Amino acid sequence: MSLELKQLTKKFNENIAVDDINLTVPTGSMYGFLGGNGAGKTTTFRMILGLLKQTEGTITYNGNPIDYSVTNRIGYLPEERGLHPKLKVEEQIRYLAQLKGMAKRDIDVKLDEWLERFEVPENRNKRIEKLSKGNQQKIQLIASIIHEPDLIILDEPFSGLDPVNVEILKKSVKELNRKGATIIFSTHRMEHVEELCEELCILNHGAQVVSGNIDQIKSDFGQKEIIIEGDHDISFLSQMPGVLDMKQIRKKTTLKIADEKFAEPIYNEIVKLGYFKRFQVNEPSLNDIFISKVGRQYE
Amino acid sequence: MNKFMTTFLQTYVSKVRAKSFIISTLIIVLLIFLAANIDKIMDIFDSSEEVTTLQVDAEEAQYASIESMFESMDSEFSIEPYEGGDAPPTGAILTLEETDPLTFTISAENDLPEEQKTEIETALGEVQRMNTIQALNLSPEETASLGEAPAINYDIASEEGAEEEEEAAAEMNPLNSIIFYVTVIIMFFIIINYASQIGTEIAMEKTSRVIEMIVSSVPPVTHLMAKISAMISVSLTQLFVFVLAVVAAIQLFDFNDLISEFGLESNDRTVTLAIYSLIYLVLGLILYLSISALLGSFISRMEDLQQALLPVTMFSLIGFYIAIFNIWTSENMLVTVSSYVPPFTPFVMPLRAMHEGTSQVELLLGVLILLVTIAIVIWLAASIYRNSVLSTDKGILKNLKRIRRE
Repeated sequence: MSLELKQLTKKFNENIAVDDINLTVPTGSMYGFLGGNGAGKTTTFRMILGLLKQTEGTITYNGNPIDYSVTNRIGYLPEERGLHPKLKVEEQIRYLAQLKGMAKRDIDVKLDEWLERFEVPENRNKRIEKLSKGNQQKIQLIASIIHEPDLIILDEPFSGLDPVNVEILKKSVKELNRKGATIIFSTHRMEHVEELCEELCILNHGAQVVSGNIDQIKSDFGQKEIIIEGDHDISFLSQMPGVLDMKQIRKKTTLKIADEKFAEPIYNEIVKLGYFKRFQVNEPSLNDIFISKVGRQYE
Repeated sequence: MNKFMTTFLQTYVSKVRAKSFIISTLIIVLLIFLAANIDKIMDIFDSSEEVTTLQVDAEEAQYASIESMFESMDSEFSIEPYEGGDAPPTGAILTLEETDPLTFTISAENDLPEEQKTEIETALGEVQRMNTIQALNLSPEETASLGEAPAINYDIASEEGAEEEEEAAAEMNPLNSIIFYVTVIIMFFIIINYASQIGTEIAMEKTSRVIEMIVSSVPPVTHLMAKISAMISVSLTQLFVFVLAVVAAIQLFDFNDLISEFGLESNDRTVTLAIYSLIYLVLGLILYLSISALLGSFISRMEDLQQALLPVTMFSLIGFYIAIFNIWTSENMLVTVSSYVPPFTPFVMPLRAMHEGTSQVELLLGVLILLVTIAIVIWLAASIYRNSVLSTDKGILKNLKRIRRE
């Protein structure tokens, strides 16, 4: 029971927007799509929702293709934000929620709850055009999740929000996930994915760079990072076996090693020198993975 | 509630509650009530008063000839000899100032209505003529030959059209022309008003990008159909209010004066005309609003809307002009041909329906043409909309190409 994309490809004329994506989003998971501008995130989402027809490949949700018979169970926040400017907040939410098959009575109750949660209850009777951009975005987000969908697709949900609202949104997204919703979101911020997701897919120019469980990806990746802090000169470490890269900023040295097994000989070497404040072996960051897979800095 | 009805009701209710709808409806209702009372309104501005008695201040012989002249004309005036003093409130004094040439003075408290003035002038002119005939000592034959009109025969090659024109003018029934004018004017008014509204509705959802959320819940074609149906229903609601206003006006106000004043009487063509006018009015609205929706789905920026809607304005204006300016020559070639050209059919066919020579088959053919055109336009609008809904292509042509894709 999950969302599966197989050999998904989309071409616009001769441009390949999405190139042979294969991935599985397990039910109840939080799945991050990571990629810069033009990486193919929005195109992939539109294909999942059936708004664009894929050139090749299949998309199934719980074994069935996605069409308008299941859209009531899906929530979608498009990247390009927009609401009916002339409608009042409650009219807008009512309309969009009714399109998702919600009854009017339920909508009113839920709307109050969500406006409270996003700390904008005073906006209920205001026209959309009178709201700030950030507040419009909150309203649109409410519209996309008010019907408590099983599958929620959020395209760049954090962009355009201030840090306080990003935290409110993260909290709500986690809660929806805890209640059982499968959540897919895209972002170009690695830290959001690292913080929220168990699963991810990194896209680069339409191609799938890496995908799957984050911990698994990191352990499969093999490379580790060692941080050493101390007063001694340790520049000779760059010559040690398994060391790929070494950066020194004042008293802090960061080493990249090809595998965790190279960490112990390094440790043994430096303890001979005396006292060190810190010796720490870290999992690789997503950024490291991205750079090593794509061969350039992310973003 | 299904998704079609959700969009339909949302659009319908918000449009009917809009200020522009309420104000434009009220203005037209007000105009209908004003038109229903046009005779009374004209009376307010008309200070003249009818007189019933005409006191004639003239010598015996002249008095007798004037009196007999009015009698022979079945005049409504009662002729009395003048007995001094001012004219009574409902009378006027006719004073004979000179006999050669005849010079009269008419004195009255208020101005006389034009018809009464004309009547008096005609009668007095006749008196003058009789006097002249007597003075010339003409024989009765000579008198008779004076009044004879020349006999003129026309021999014109393209006689047919001229005859028809005459015929058309002769059979022009004022009530029928009013039905025709009202139909065509209301149709034009509603089209111009709603074309931009439906175009705006559709274009705004695309430009504001809210459409992406909507089409993730409801198929684009269902959404478009709901929008078009809602806007057509809004326009029909307005039309219904107008009809109610007319019915209310008929019930509320006394129409007898109005009918007699303007000679409004139905003839055997009135019912046919009224039925077809209503059919063409409704079909015309559906056609033009569907075309507006079609054009609205081409564009993705509000700035392009007016430009995109230009064909609607143009075609409706041309249709309107063809209909209005050919009312006296309703059987000419332009009218016949344009009545089968879909954008003009709803305007021109009511004109032809007014005419005896137009058969039921022709009128029904017009209905059929419109139905087919509407179906094609809606199909086109749906296929363009489906493919251009997420497009931000600016050019109309680029969007046109999308019809063929997918």
